[in-house]
Amino acid sequence: MNSVTESKFIDVRGKRTQITIGGEGPALIYLHSAGGEVEWTRFHEMLAQYFTVYLPAHPGFGDSRGLEDIHSITDYAWHYVDLLDVLELETVPVVGFSLGGWTAMELAILRPERISKMLLVNSAGIRISDAPMGELFSDDIEKLKSLLFYDPNSPVIEEAMPLSYEDNRILMWLKAREATARVGWNPYLHNPRLPDHLFRIPCPVRILWGNDDHLLPVETGKFLVDALPNATLEIFEKTGHMLPYEQAERFVEEVRKFLIN
Amino acid sequence: MRFFTFHLMPFNKLPEDFEEKYETAWTTVPNSLYDPVYGHELYNRFLDELIYAEEIGFDGVCVNEHHQSAYGHMPSPNLMGSILARQTKRVKIAVIGNALPFYDPPTRVAEEFAMIDVISGGRLIAGMVVGGGPEYYSFSMNPTYARSKYQEALDLIVRAWTEPGPFEHYGEHWKLRHVNPWPTPFQKPHPPIWIPGAGSKETIELVAERRYSYMGIPYFHKSFFKKNFDMFRKACQKNGYKAHEEQTGWLVPIYVAETDEQAWAEYEKHLFFFIKKLLKGLVVFPPGYSSPKSIARIGIALKQFLGNVTTREEIEEGGYAMVGSPETVREKMKDYVQDFGVGNVLGLFQIGTLPADLTKKNMTLFAEQVLPYLRKELGEPATDEELSQALAAN
Repeated sequence: MNSVTESKFIDVRGKRTQITIGGEGPALIYLHSAGGEVEWTRFHEMLAQYFTVYLPAHPGFGDSRGLEDIHSITDYAWHYVDLLDVLELETVPVVGFSLGGWTAMELAILRPERISKMLLVNSAGIRISDAPMGELFSDDIEKLKSLLFYDPNSPVIEEAMPLSYEDNRILMWLKAREATARVGWNPYLHNPRLPDHLFRIPCPVRILWGNDDHLLPVETGKFLVDALPNATLEIFEKTGHMLPYEQAERFVEEVRKFLIN
Repeated sequence: MRFFTFHLMPFNKLPEDFEEKYETAWTTVPNSLYDPVYGHELYNRFLDELIYAEEIGFDGVCVNEHHQSAYGHMPSPNLMGSILARQTKRVKIAVIGNALPFYDPPTRVAEEFAMIDVISGGRLIAGMVVGGGPEYYSFSMNPTYARSKYQEALDLIVRAWTEPGPFEHYGEHWKLRHVNPWPTPFQKPHPPIWIPGAGSKETIELVAERRYSYMGIPYFHKSFFKKNFDMFRKACQKNGYKAHEEQTGWLVPIYVAETDEQAWAEYEKHLFFFIKKLLKGLVVFPPGYSSPKSIARIGIALKQFLGNVTTREEIEEGGYAMVGSPETVREKMKDYVQDFGVGNVLGLFQIGTLPADLTKKNMTLFAEQVLPYLRKELGEPATDEELSQALAAN
């Protein structure tokens, strides 16, 4: 069953921002990962059975503009403060995957009263000194597959990333990498100041993590569940970084359970 | 037509099974593989090879900058350039180049290049580069600022060379209250500026607009070179002038021996050491280093990259290296130079494990039997005055 989706551009403080809205039910903001899943995918469609899903593309991703004014993850977080105003969403739950999870945490620190609940999936933003992160900025597709997926031969990989320079998604993918590098090259995929501010996030947080995430190790999730005032953690066995692709049904069920009581 | 000897100064003592055991010769290649005692011998030998280039009639010598790499272990080409400034008397010293975003503040480049120019009595060619892809990993420098840092640094350096100091610089990346480098360059208004490129449209357009010189980075298929040089000439046209042929240069590995067969017999394993070991793991373009369009275009060209070549036939077909007897090499090179329309040949006469004796023989045969022929067929070098007039008058 296809939900009714609408893709459009909204002006967020001068940044032309691509947003796709679909489904029915309570509002949910989905903040995407470094992979740039800004097109409606299988699991967005599944979420749309229960929620009105707002899927914005971060500046620099998809057809969203304004990367030249982004210099750190905090700039992304401020962009979302402005976006919530434009969409007139007073208080809303946020689902953030990887880079989107990091952005969600930074947003919740800036405007805790705007975020009702937060679901973090294999979130970036934290560096655990004895659990090193993998190299996302490799240009070796085979290495990236093993880095990101539990099964490097899984058919879902095709959904998630282009597999050659001839793939017509390559330009969008290169843009996504550029925007990720802009905020996550150095310090690498984290904000060293973030741990000191996590106590400012009062809302309930559900954390999902793939036990076999080689990019952002599961120790990061274990750290977050302790550092956040009101969080629980669910570890998915035999799952890598790309949890929403690899475990779409279970992921959607977790979102539904957590957000709809 | 001008001829340069280019040296990468590779660290070429690596384990036999290097390519099976190690993922890359760049950035993370363990420096426990480095041997400073052998390094001492290598640096001095490689410098001797560049000094020898002057003796046998080359117009210039080139050095370049790489970090944390066995491919080229010359993190400071300015140190090598300053040695060459003292140990040579006539040749141009092309330092191509300094990776501007890594010099903080970039007025350090203005100072150090001016020193080499003054010591050498005006023989410096100032290469200004964005820095290779791997360097952005090696220094954890954000590649999405590579272009804007580079542009700001380049403008600042040229301004520091041409405008009396002190002055203030308030840019996006650097805020400097007192820009006033000592010394200033020997050559006026400043040393010639060369900018190497791997085919980014951004670089080509910048070089054309400023009327600097564009050096094609090697290891691509000949058709990709041709496209890039054509793109450069078009960009010059767009800026209202005709490109001077000495505004372009072609960097290529060269090996000359008595016969074609002997050349391949002597050269092949050393070239493949370079291809299989030293080029391994080279990340040409980190994210944001060029526009997604440029990266996509070069990503496709990388299919025909020397690093992926496995046979002698492919090397000959793609023009990745000029190998053979003096007759073969001069005929080939004449065709390539005419086809590309370039006015500078930057030859890599030492590559991989090629030992000192073969490197010297190669250079000697080239200087005696190839260079004079190409000069006769393709024209004497333009003088500095002719070149600057040609570029200014357009």
